[in-house]
Amino acid sequence: MTRLFIFYTFKVNIGEMSKHKLGELEEIVLLVVAILHGEAYGIAIINEMRERLDRKISIGSLQTVLRRLEQKGYVVSELGEATKVRGGKRKRFFTITNFGKDALQETRDQRLGLWNAIPGIIFDN
Amino acid sequence: MKKDKHLSPPQLFMRFFRWFCRRDYLEDIEGDLNERFDQLIEEFGLRGAKRRFAWEVLLLFRPGMIRSLDSFPILNRPNMLKQNLKIGFRSLMKDKTYAVIKIGGFAIGITAFLLIALLIQDETSYDQHYVEKDRIYRLLNVTSNPDFDIKSWTAFQPQTKQLLEEDYPEVEMAGRMILRDWYLAGDNQFRKSEEKINTYEDDFAYADPEMLEILEIPMLYGSRETALSDPLTIVLSKRKAEQYFPGEDPVGRTVVLNDNDERLFTIGGVMDELPNSHVKFEFLITLVDVEFWRGEQTDWCCNNYDTYVRLKPGVDTEELEDKLLAIRDNYMIRFFEDREEAFAGILRKYRTFDLEPIGQIYLNTETFADKNESGDRRIVKLFGLIAICILLLACVNFINLFTAKSANRAKEIGVRKVVGSFRLDLVRQFLTESVLYSVFSVILGALTAAVVLPYFNQLIDKELVMPFGSWWLIPGLTGLALIIGVVAGIYPSLYLSSFRPIDILRGKLSKGSRRPLLRNGLVTFQFTTSIVLVISALVVYQQMQYILNKDVGFNKDQVVLIQGAFTLGDKTDAFKQELTALPMVEEVTNSNYFPVAGTNRDGNGFWIDGREKIDNSVGGQAWFVAENYVPTMKMELVAGRNFNSKMATDTAAVIINETLARKLGLDDPIGARIRNYRAWNVVGVVKDFHYEDMKQEIRPLALFRGRGSASVVAVRLKAEHTSSTVAAIQKVWDDFMPNQPIRYDYMDESYAAMYEEVDRTSNVFAACAVLAILIACLGLFGLSTFMVEQRSKEISVRKVLGASVQHLFGILTANYLRLIFLSLLLGGPLAWYIMQSWLENYTYGIDLEWWFFAVAGLLVAGIALLTVSRQVLRLSLSNPTEFLKAE
Repeated sequence: MTRLFIFYTFKVNIGEMSKHKLGELEEIVLLVVAILHGEAYGIAIINEMRERLDRKISIGSLQTVLRRLEQKGYVVSELGEATKVRGGKRKRFFTITNFGKDALQETRDQRLGLWNAIPGIIFDN
Repeated sequence: MKKDKHLSPPQLFMRFFRWFCRRDYLEDIEGDLNERFDQLIEEFGLRGAKRRFAWEVLLLFRPGMIRSLDSFPILNRPNMLKQNLKIGFRSLMKDKTYAVIKIGGFAIGITAFLLIALLIQDETSYDQHYVEKDRIYRLLNVTSNPDFDIKSWTAFQPQTKQLLEEDYPEVEMAGRMILRDWYLAGDNQFRKSEEKINTYEDDFAYADPEMLEILEIPMLYGSRETALSDPLTIVLSKRKAEQYFPGEDPVGRTVVLNDNDERLFTIGGVMDELPNSHVKFEFLITLVDVEFWRGEQTDWCCNNYDTYVRLKPGVDTEELEDKLLAIRDNYMIRFFEDREEAFAGILRKYRTFDLEPIGQIYLNTETFADKNESGDRRIVKLFGLIAICILLLACVNFINLFTAKSANRAKEIGVRKVVGSFRLDLVRQFLTESVLYSVFSVILGALTAAVVLPYFNQLIDKELVMPFGSWWLIPGLTGLALIIGVVAGIYPSLYLSSFRPIDILRGKLSKGSRRPLLRNGLVTFQFTTSIVLVISALVVYQQMQYILNKDVGFNKDQVVLIQGAFTLGDKTDAFKQELTALPMVEEVTNSNYFPVAGTNRDGNGFWIDGREKIDNSVGGQAWFVAENYVPTMKMELVAGRNFNSKMATDTAAVIINETLARKLGLDDPIGARIRNYRAWNVVGVVKDFHYEDMKQEIRPLALFRGRGSASVVAVRLKAEHTSSTVAAIQKVWDDFMPNQPIRYDYMDESYAAMYEEVDRTSNVFAACAVLAILIACLGLFGLSTFMVEQRSKEISVRKVLGASVQHLFGILTANYLRLIFLSLLLGGPLAWYIMQSWLENYTYGIDLEWWFFAVAGLLVAGIALLTVSRQVLRLSLSNPTEFLKAE
């Protein structure tokens, strides 16, 4: 009996995680895209992350994450206008989708739930 | 914000990024990279920024960013190919003159290449057809004696075959052949036993029955085992069997040789057609029970048999060669030891044996073998080189014209690039175009080759056929077209596709000739090749003239040689007298031996009498000649006298040549006694005359007096031979020999025939030189047309300002003359070197003289000037307004 119960709980956990599976970096990038709200393109995101989190990220890693988020449907992107800077190349602006917002919301709820479950004695200050 | 050139990201990494990145991510990430680089500069300075930028790019090189393989352009996607072909065809049709020059030049080169390739294929195909090819060998005598001219030869003593069979288990089968003129080998009068009239036939050979097996001769009638196994049997070729016994199986029928009704030969079989082989025969006579003189078959005196073996599988030939030395020690050396001759020591010191693989015999020129078919490995290589050179010349033409005319294509290239063509697409397009040209040329070239093949055969004395039926022809030609298309097209396509669209569309690109250095180099290459070939042809031709006109020590003109006169027998003297009585005949003599090809030779050893046990013999020829031979041939006696039959002592008289006197060390030869197989008195010394070709030094020779019949009757005429003279001689012959048609040669022609090879080489060189010049001139014509187009305005302005036509002609041709002069400087020494090594083959050769080079230079320069002059003159003489009004 007991073993069956454990198995069941485990399965439910997997099901819940697979709905919005956000990695740590994905979560941060998604948050920064949301923060920049319409001005989020590669270099802007990198700068924002550095300023706010003091976290350095290469274009390669960032772009990989961005495209993955786009594939999963958390963000959409479109090309902006060409300008004289950047060697005349257009920027690609990323915007967060409702689905992305859900994912962020859910992640935050999960975290909060976890925080709330911590007994008061641990952070005793 | 103005972009400083110094501040742009490292191009190497940027290009790498552009190459690998997914197309749909490319633009914005590239922009990010640019922006990032600017930031990095502010933060870390230029050097640090560059390093970090490289790192960024490398970090981008990851699976999500790299474009997939299908988006890389793949060769010959059918649509593009079709498009490229269409463009290629249009540009071909647009300028037909150029198309003709390009394709024509290419086709000429390909024709020459194909013909020479056929020749080489034929030359290397000899003796390659045997099933047991790797086990068939010819036995060779090899001597390392520095005093001998000949280093290896084929003839062995008769018993060698038997010893090979009995004492050497490695030998599966051994057999002997006699291919040179010897007794019945060579030429004979031939008839069916039931008929009367003889026919002259050549190409008889003696062979052991085993030879049919060893040479794997295909039999039409009869079998290899039995065809030659009985005494007095003969085997005919298919051709001869059809000639004499049309439509029947002649096995068992009898034939007569040389009117000798007492020795009938029975036909044992008929050979089917033989592939190319170093041995050539129409009739094979068995060696079973043959003995040329009493005791001949067991005598170790004389080397007369070419000996072949088929070894058992897996035999080590080097080991066997060592074992064979037992034959030398136990038989050859013993023969001389028994006779106490000094030659025994020489044999032991220098003589060894070689087993020569049958597939290598034909192209080996080192070995001395009478009457074998033989090629020359060096000539084959030389021809191969010439073939490739001519093909290269044709490619060079193509490259030159294509790049010269590039201006016409520049706009097309610019537009293509602007609308997004990659360089690779352009390269592919131009390659398609050049392959298109080469395909047309190969088709044209192959057809031309088929048409001129008969003339080529005449030139090289071969019977090549175009292999239209062979399976490899179509794939081979396709491969050839592809290869030369790519070789000729790769440079022009890389060059054309490198144009920058911005330059083209602004009109900054100077029209066409951006790289005159390369073009000049290629033209120089063409003319260097032409000049080398012209000089070579001249030298070979001069050598031929030298040979034909040299004083050879006898008078070869106005002499008719009646061949096959052996059959006259007792009637010989009467025949000679009757001929001498003819009014136009000066003198008549006879002998088996004459100083032209096609008559007998007889190698012998000579000593001073009494020293034959002490000295080594002096090798030389022993010729039996009629009494009046020396005066009839107009040879010069430098000492002593001619034979005189009225003197009783003259039965032991001998006339020697200067070389023999010198080699024997006779200061005063008259009256000396020399020894051959007996002692002879020297009565005269004849001035050295050439009796072998001029590659060899004149060797020792002794003339003995012979009587009675001989194979050749020589008739010296008082004037040039005419048809009536010949008719008169023929009438006398027919009176004497009604059953044997007369056969005669003119001595000067027989002499020239010895040098057919030189003549052929000279013709081939001349033909190649003509081709090379033709190709070079086609190219030059195209180039000059182009140049004239380019410089029309400049020339018109010069003309308006008062330049004369001569002056303009000078300006326009100066460059070409410079190039030809340069070619002469390059080609002259090269030709000198090649021809010097060719002439070294000849003991009697011409010297290279400066005027060969001058003539070649002037000739090529003249032809080149003629070629360009049409265009140049047209421009120089034209009305300047015609070209200037457009401005």
